[in-house]
Amino acid sequence: MAKKNRVAIVGVGYSDVSRGSGLTLDKLTAQSSVAAMDDAGIKPTDIDGVVVHSFPHQFVSSTHTAAMLGIPDVAFYSGNVDGAAYSVAAMHAIAAIASGSAETVLTLRTVHKAGAAGGAALLGPQRGIPGNMQFSMPYGSFTGSHWAGMYMQRHMAMYGSTEEDFGAFAIAQRKFAVANPTESFFHEELTMDDYLNSRYIAKPLHLLDCDYPVDSSSALIFTTEERARDMKQKPVFFDSWANGTTAEADFSLVRDMTHSSPWMAAKRMWSRTDLKPSDVNTAGLYDGFSFIAMQWLEALGFCGEGESGAFVRSGATSATGSLPTNTDGGACNVGRRHGANFFIEVTRQLRGTAGDRALPNKPEVGVVSNAVGGFAACALLTAE
Amino acid sequence: MTTEVLAPLPLPNELTAAFWDGANQGKLVIQRCNACGHFQHAPEPICANCLSFDLGYSAVSGKGSVYTFCIPTQAFHPWFEDKLPFVLAVVELDEQPGLKMITNIVEINPDDVKVGDRVEVTFSPLGEGFTLPVFRPAAQ
Repeated sequence: MAKKNRVAIVGVGYSDVSRGSGLTLDKLTAQSSVAAMDDAGIKPTDIDGVVVHSFPHQFVSSTHTAAMLGIPDVAFYSGNVDGAAYSVAAMHAIAAIASGSAETVLTLRTVHKAGAAGGAALLGPQRGIPGNMQFSMPYGSFTGSHWAGMYMQRHMAMYGSTEEDFGAFAIAQRKFAVANPTESFFHEELTMDDYLNSRYIAKPLHLLDCDYPVDSSSALIFTTEERARDMKQKPVFFDSWANGTTAEADFSLVRDMTHSSPWMAAKRMWSRTDLKPSDVNTAGLYDGFSFIAMQWLEALGFCGEGESGAFVRSGATSATGSLPTNTDGGACNVGRRHGANFFIEVTRQLRGTAGDRALPNKPEVGVVSNAVGGFAACALLTAE
Repeated sequence: MTTEVLAPLPLPNELTAAFWDGANQGKLVIQRCNACGHFQHAPEPICANCLSFDLGYSAVSGKGSVYTFCIPTQAFHPWFEDKLPFVLAVVELDEQPGLKMITNIVEINPDDVKVGDRVEVTFSPLGEGFTLPVFRPAAQ
């Protein structure tokens, strides 16, 4: 039986990131692509696959992106608008390379800050609410903050967790952000009072539970192990990866909010590796809202069910803890990269290019994750 | 000159019209499979339990419990500006485990709502020919 190609990350890059540069989706996409090619030391003619994830209302085409970058002919492309944000692009690229459909794939997530403004913005001047949104919007459910507040409330009711538990995560993550001044939009450490006094968006969800909307594009380049060995950077490898979904498509109507799709993805990922949670030295856990990263801590088995608050409070996710988590500061601080920043930051930590933010534990195994609710994905990355 | 603030109205279609018609008549009706009896919400063109396309609507008791909720304090649509804070909730209906709907909890101080509270349906006029099924604390 043919051995699957081992897939490596060989280049990472960001566009300019701001709260409103006026840069188009295409220009941002081109900027991050060039940065990732420079990082990998390769040219457009070395790339034979392009995969993009974008919002349907901010669509970025993979074939147009290839043409824009002067890639003469792609063996594999996909432009996705469904599912777990950047990780969809990553999963498609891994599948393409592992199957031999392509050798070197550019993966992208480009987003304008208004992208997740929610249904009200999507409706525009239209009066009637079509589809299944007619069962949520008339009740005042318009954005992710609404289901996020409900996921937090359910966790609090099931396990006795508190707003201070979610605050502990925001505080711990901000410490990393302060140490990453070139990427973070926030430069002061948080106190619990800062967190608790930040306004509610949808009680119990506070403003400081939310990722920070920005205009950004993130790019990573994946290739085969054989090619990766000849490239500029020390490659980082995918050891195991998985998607997971719930039976219900609506985030607000999933069967069990404290065991949503991260649990399915995590179980599948661990079933495909010999590595164990105790082997993992760093994590990049999606924080579109802080509770999401905490559901991942539980789903991935780093702490017991319902115990993510205590785990974070213990210092385990800090730079000197057992599982330094979101070491770039997370999307709450570096801005919404929709999952891609975790793949980029864990790659930098594993290959040793995190500069003065290099973790004291010199991590060799990292985990990354994306999304929650109806769909999610996660992957284990290794330095060798 | 002031601009009239308009409610976010449902746009009924062949799958959803019965739900809104029922609400206008003071009934909570939920899509149900005529072949296997499975309820599903939101409605779909096929039964996820038995793959039958023979689907109808059936009245339910309107009794259930609060699965979870939040209290929005920022309006993301002008209609809700003067309604803050309110209770946005998911209610699990008694008819079938996991049968849930997004709704509002009314006739209670928002800070007094708790997960697990028993609730019963009531009907709130939305205007322009629409009525919202919402929930209030169940009578003892």
